[in-house]
Amino acid sequence: MSQHRVVGRRVRKVDGTKLVTGRTAFTDDFEMPGMLIGKILGSPHAHARITRIDTRRAKALPGVHAVLTYQDVPRVPHTTAGQGWPEPSPYDTYLLDSKVRFVGDRVAAVAAESRAIAEEALRRIDVEYEVLPAVLDMEHAMDPGVAVIHDEPDSSHILDPSRNLVGEIHKELGSVEEGFRQADLILEREYRTPRQQHAMLEPHIAIAWLDADDRLVIRTSTQIPFHVRRQVAMILQIPVGRIRVVKPRIGGGFGGKQEQVIDDICAALALATRRPVKLEYTRHEEFFMARTRHPQILKLRMGVRKDGTIVAHHMQVLAATGAYGSHATTVQGNTGSKVLPLYRVPNLKFDCRIVYLNTPQAGAFRGYGCPQGFFAQESLVDEIAHELKMDPIEFRLRNAIRKGDVDELSAQLGEGRRGLPRVMRSCGLPQCLEQGAAAIGWKEKRGKGRRSAGRIRRGVGVACSMQGSGIAGVDFAGAFFKLNEDGSFNLQVGATDLGTGSDTVLAQIAAETLGVSLDKIIIYSSDTDFTPFDVGAYASSTTIISGGAVKKAAEKTRDQVCCFAAKLLETSPEELTCRDDRVFAPDGKSVSMSEVALFALYKEKTQLMEGASHFNTDSPPPFCATFAEVEVDTETGQVSVPHLVTAVDLGVAINPMQAEGQAEGAVAQGLGYALAEELVLDDAGRVVNANFCDYKIFTAKDMPRLTTILVETEEPLGPYGAKSIAEVPINGVAPAVANAVFDATGIRFRTLPIRPDAVLKALREQRAAT
Amino acid sequence: MNEREIHVTVNGDTRSWSVAPGELLLDVLRREAYWGVKRGCETGECGACAVLLDGQPVNSCLMFAAQADGRRLLTIEGVAHGDRLDPLQEAFLDHGAVQCGYCTPAMVLCTRALLERRADPTEDEVREALSGVLCRCTGYRKPVEAVLAAAKTRSAAAKPKSARRKGAAR
Amino acid sequence: MFDQLRAFHRPTTIAQALRVFRTERRRGGRGAFVAGGTDVVVVGDRRLRYLVDVTNLPLRYIRRRGGGWAIGATSRMADLEHSAQLRRFADGALAEAAGTCGSPQIRNMATIGGNLANASPACDTAPPLLALDASVVVAGPAGRRTVPLDRFFRGVNRTALDGGLLIEILIPAPPIPRRGRAAWSFQKLGRLKSDIAVVNAATGVAVDQSGRCAWARIALGAVAPTPLRARRAEALLVGRVPDRAAIAEAAARVAAELKPVSDVRGTADYRREMSRVLVARALEECAGRLGRSS
Repeated sequence: MSQHRVVGRRVRKVDGTKLVTGRTAFTDDFEMPGMLIGKILGSPHAHARITRIDTRRAKALPGVHAVLTYQDVPRVPHTTAGQGWPEPSPYDTYLLDSKVRFVGDRVAAVAAESRAIAEEALRRIDVEYEVLPAVLDMEHAMDPGVAVIHDEPDSSHILDPSRNLVGEIHKELGSVEEGFRQADLILEREYRTPRQQHAMLEPHIAIAWLDADDRLVIRTSTQIPFHVRRQVAMILQIPVGRIRVVKPRIGGGFGGKQEQVIDDICAALALATRRPVKLEYTRHEEFFMARTRHPQILKLRMGVRKDGTIVAHHMQVLAATGAYGSHATTVQGNTGSKVLPLYRVPNLKFDCRIVYLNTPQAGAFRGYGCPQGFFAQESLVDEIAHELKMDPIEFRLRNAIRKGDVDELSAQLGEGRRGLPRVMRSCGLPQCLEQGAAAIGWKEKRGKGRRSAGRIRRGVGVACSMQGSGIAGVDFAGAFFKLNEDGSFNLQVGATDLGTGSDTVLAQIAAETLGVSLDKIIIYSSDTDFTPFDVGAYASSTTIISGGAVKKAAEKTRDQVCCFAAKLLETSPEELTCRDDRVFAPDGKSVSMSEVALFALYKEKTQLMEGASHFNTDSPPPFCATFAEVEVDTETGQVSVPHLVTAVDLGVAINPMQAEGQAEGAVAQGLGYALAEELVLDDAGRVVNANFCDYKIFTAKDMPRLTTILVETEEPLGPYGAKSIAEVPINGVAPAVANAVFDATGIRFRTLPIRPDAVLKALREQRAAT
Repeated sequence: MNEREIHVTVNGDTRSWSVAPGELLLDVLRREAYWGVKRGCETGECGACAVLLDGQPVNSCLMFAAQADGRRLLTIEGVAHGDRLDPLQEAFLDHGAVQCGYCTPAMVLCTRALLERRADPTEDEVREALSGVLCRCTGYRKPVEAVLAAAKTRSAAAKPKSARRKGAAR
Repeated sequence: MFDQLRAFHRPTTIAQALRVFRTERRRGGRGAFVAGGTDVVVVGDRRLRYLVDVTNLPLRYIRRRGGGWAIGATSRMADLEHSAQLRRFADGALAEAAGTCGSPQIRNMATIGGNLANASPACDTAPPLLALDASVVVAGPAGRRTVPLDRFFRGVNRTALDGGLLIEILIPAPPIPRRGRAAWSFQKLGRLKSDIAVVNAATGVAVDQSGRCAWARIALGAVAPTPLRARRAEALLVGRVPDRAAIAEAAARVAAELKPVSDVRGTADYRREMSRVLVARALEECAGRLGRSS
């Protein structure tokens, strides 16, 4: 039970009532007179030049107010990645271009009086293409003679455009060559991970208009309102101060909205028509015109001593970023920097290459490079433990990073710039493993499957993982309080609640620090005119960074409250404490927060208000142990998961109920990644399964029994000891499932998703071999 | 245009709307400001557009508005009684079953229909009732717990006073 | 989406429906009958100029008829799924199949007539109906005709409707041998629990008083352009005790004759193998229900 009054409590979301009653809350729950519908004409070709584009017939259609092509808009190279400026992603994207680089890439955009007219207008745009060879295979994207995807001279920060090479990363700690010489056992394996799609329930949507002061207002479903403002300003060449970005409630993002996907084109249409314009992706468009997870091929080579100590680990990654390079080096950098340090290995080497392809664009997605890396690493570690006949948990504990350790690799592999070393000031991984193992029934269930002859083989598997909490030295947030007559506080934060419950968590931190009840905090977030800056919701930063800003600002506010209260109580401010909506003097006399407010406003003629900014110079990792129990039907190859246990060291849970919910949602996505989700492309680069019928996400009937264990440690760098939980629970699911399948069948699967036909084939080969 | 007039009872109110022949119910509902009915896929797969038609869950994105003529609809806007939330809504809030909230109206409606015909559903029955609503945020665990808890609350409230006093078993 | 639609008719009798459809057809353009909309709207053919909604026709019924059944074409999948009577018939194979279509919302909208008329190769109600020797009644301008279901499907999304309206599904009384028994089973394999079938199958087995198979029905979907009966495999079982060996042989025979496609839902090889597995499981379930001791 929490020792605090508000922090640590399973309180209802502060915005819960409006969500559960369906009140107008989301971007589309909004009407403006004269609003037009915007639509994008997407390329039918994976790689082509537009040799002729004629919009006259489209413009002539009654009800069409604007048709834009590359000839009508400024050409400003930029990235759409939701990152701080200057973004560590190539500037290789254009509002509209004369070249298209994936099926669905922007050819033109229209704004019309109805959806039907807009769709008809798209059909009336006459385009001639010079079709170019499509580069679709990441293993051959750099071959000599292969078509060059970014041959334009004005893009920048691409390592070698002539070879479709976005970037490379090479880092070494110690010497792996030396390390391998010390090894008694070396295993080298290759792993492949797919394009996963966010599939959030609310598609990308934006509404843009010019207000009465001719300022551009963008109401948008985004995780990054401030980055959107800055990027749209740059792309449309208007001042930042002339733009206001407002984020209403969001129907999910998971990193897919850590990206400026349609705001620029929607705004361009609003400027061209001088009318409000709504642009929303259809579900079909979501699947190939938005973003995906980076598919990777990972080659791992690990050397161990026979006592189980890892002495060397060399990870090589080839990744495809798709047609444009947003998040290319940072996601893949994470595959190294957040995955390799889980184990204390003196000799580490990370080599990575990221290539362009004429496929849908990859970007940020929950885990941000870690699901790929942990699938590979935790599968390999499991295999090595098996070779050594060591218990997989014991093997991990032996090598795992500990409290007090310093992760030097992070310093080398910062997100796009020189990073900072990470000190493990809190680490609950051993408790996560212990409690998780007990919950899954590890001892009773392990090792039974391979010996069974039945049709259904059962097994259990484990995987460990870590993440970060905010980007050290980069992510920052501002928070601002002002006090009202009734003792309520307006709390303005730039932080972005995308359904994660951050409004609630931040309000809890505020209420706790100010000594008031939760309902006295009126939180308003993510409006670039009215809230202070915040980088946005990504990198598991909101609780620790935005929460840190809230706590700082609340402390300053509390100090000011005490100053005023001191006058009323005729004592000195340092003697006062705030709790239960009142300010108490040591002798027991008190005044209410409301009395303080009235005094300040009407007697002292001061608005009691305070703000603060916050960032960290470290990124304390949450730790996670994931345990999966699987059943493999040897006749159909289907893998089902009756039980999945997640034990997470999240620091302190500000709201345990929300934290569990985050973990459980992440697990559902991890299960999809492990068993069912994959964007399939045909040989012309088209997504074949661009719908929910054939892009399978888990339903309520598919989900296993979930056990979620919150292991609390106290992280000095986090408000009230908090770290994060938004991403880490996704990382261990695929390897835990794969390791459980091994326990059940004796077969290792190194390609995700683990499809029934692959399982069946492998089982057949296994039978034939014995 | 060949508009027709339809008369639909929505949340107890009789509404008269002029609809085009090909207009879909989802579009008409949102046009008429029932914004709790969500657009998620337009192919009947995600369930975010679910409403109750004569008490039964249907995907409004697949229904022609004309087919709603003379029928009774319940949307999320009609679930609470003024300020008083339905036990399902209370349970969703108490159990942390709402994250982004986009699928929440559909979840509430589909499980309300379940509880109307099965006062004491099993977990499997709850999952079946929710199987047509995709959620990307929660992993479904807390929504299922919320529904099971709401079932108990509704049953307790429905018991006659004397039975409750005697602590009669169900 | 259907911005070209000039008319959405809601007739209340079959004659009216046929008449208005004919009139619209003469006026020109593409048109269709629509019931639940779960296929028509998903396909979203924006060239449609007219739709004739048949959900107001008196075709929503599930009735016993002479030892068999007459099911109105606009009966919803949910009606079949929840019909207490139908669940007790043929070991509930048809009710169970209807209960696997789509989601609860879809089942409240989708009609059995629409499911058959759409003629998806993966149609879930077709295998049990084929295993029950069902036929469909089609109403057209020239009157009514009854088409055996195994002659109704002509190809992917193609049927013998020829512009007519499917109004009823007829299931004859199953010919159970004197002092014999019969049992049925429905099996479906998807990628996840709610799915379009990767393979679906329905079997019916009748044994005489000596325990030998008097007749067998094996029907599959999603493995060919249309749902089909595996007649040669059926013939293999006749006269034999449906034991494990006989079942395995029949299932293998089914698989050997199939040429399924590879698509995003499954490879041809996988479908072929799953046909064998599902048919075997279905026949084993029949045998179990028949009370054979294994």
